Amino acid sequence: MENISAGMSERRLIMLAADGEARAIRTLYDRYAPRVYAVVRRIAGDDDLAQDYAQEAWIRAIRALPTFRGDARFSTWLHRIAVNSALQALRKSETRRKREAPIPDQVPVAPRGGDALLQKQLERALDVLPEGMRRVLILHDVEGYTHEEIGDTLGVTSGTSKSQLFKARAKMRDLLSSLSGASQEHGAEAWSI
Amino acid sequence: MEHLTAETLAGLVNEVAQPEEAAHLAECQVCRAKLDDYREQTEALGNLPEIVPPRGDWGVLEARLRSEGLVKPPGAFEKLGLAQTPAWMKVAAAVMLYLGGTGTGVVLAHNDKPQALGEMAMMSDPTMFANSATVDDAASAVRIAEQYYVSALARYRELMLTESGGQPGVDQMSKYAALEHLAAASQAALRQAPGDPYFNGLLASVLGEREATARMVSRKDNWF
Repeated sequence: MENISAGMSERRLIMLAADGEARAIRTLYDRYAPRVYAVVRRIAGDDDLAQDYAQEAWIRAIRALPTFRGDARFSTWLHRIAVNSALQALRKSETRRKREAPIPDQVPVAPRGGDALLQKQLERALDVLPEGMRRVLILHDVEGYTHEEIGDTLGVTSGTSKSQLFKARAKMRDLLSSLSGASQEHGAEAWSI
Repeated sequence: MEHLTAETLAGLVNEVAQPEEAAHLAECQVCRAKLDDYREQTEALGNLPEIVPPRGDWGVLEARLRSEGLVKPPGAFEKLGLAQTPAWMKVAAAVMLYLGGTGTGVVLAHNDKPQALGEMAMMSDPTMFANSATVDDAASAVRIAEQYYVSALARYRELMLTESGGQPGVDQMSKYAALEHLAAASQAALRQAPGDPYFNGLLASVLGEREATARMVSRKDNWF
């Protein structure tokens, strides 16, 4: 059996994982799980749903590994699967999360520079953003999709995507203002970053 | 003065302003400040960190992957919890198992007054190992060769006791011959199962022992 290590080339890891080698799959999982979980968590807006979506995304990805040809980066390929999987699951979900439900106090985030309080506020505001707005805002502002890509992914026109995005940004600003407990009257200082 | 709407300002984060919008922004500090806020908000969203999955997430996923047949069944070393063990440690483990078994065999064979099986090993046909057609045949050949080796060791001990008046010793030539056959059998087994950790470990240990024995033989039989 080949000795699988974190330093092994990604291409080799992918080949082994496609062949069902558990440790290769685990290595890929360890490497990309935070990224996959982050995108599905934000799309889901809920921890429990996010776990289900992440599992589904990984299952789909591992199942599709033999078809991965390396035309795109693996991280990009995996990310697309995670986004599509989460969006599809969200559509299928009959019981949509109630927006008035208590917002989780903490979303465990990977260590990274930046304002932790602001990041927490952003995550909480994302969670309470209406679903349609949240999807577009996450795909565009968080994940860097173009409006054309969002249109393809969500089955809407790029114009609709833009319109939703602008509304989402405005709503997001209001939410951040209320989260920081300040006035919205020309409230640049209310949630000033 | 009528301010720009929130959606218009949100759009101007990465859209080109129309002339009238640009003119308003040039005059209105409030709208400029709001637009700056939208830009900072957008930038902050783009810099959100990754999120650590809940503990135990991998365990659930692994179980699902196995249930769907997307993961190979664990091998022998994985079952023993040695999946991440370096190769040299696996070989060492195989050597320990092998030598442990050999030692037991020597003790047992010595008590049974073994015959000169080292000579039998020398006379036996090595192709019986090389021509093994299946893993089972190859494994059987390895077991037979191991028995030869164990018996040869017992014979060395017996010869030594006879020739040196009770001091332990070894017939290195017979030992070398038995090791030769054991190496051939291990190689035949590996041709059937190249990834088998036991056979790999066994072959490594046998080759090492054979080399050491060869050095002993050359020192003993220094005809020049």
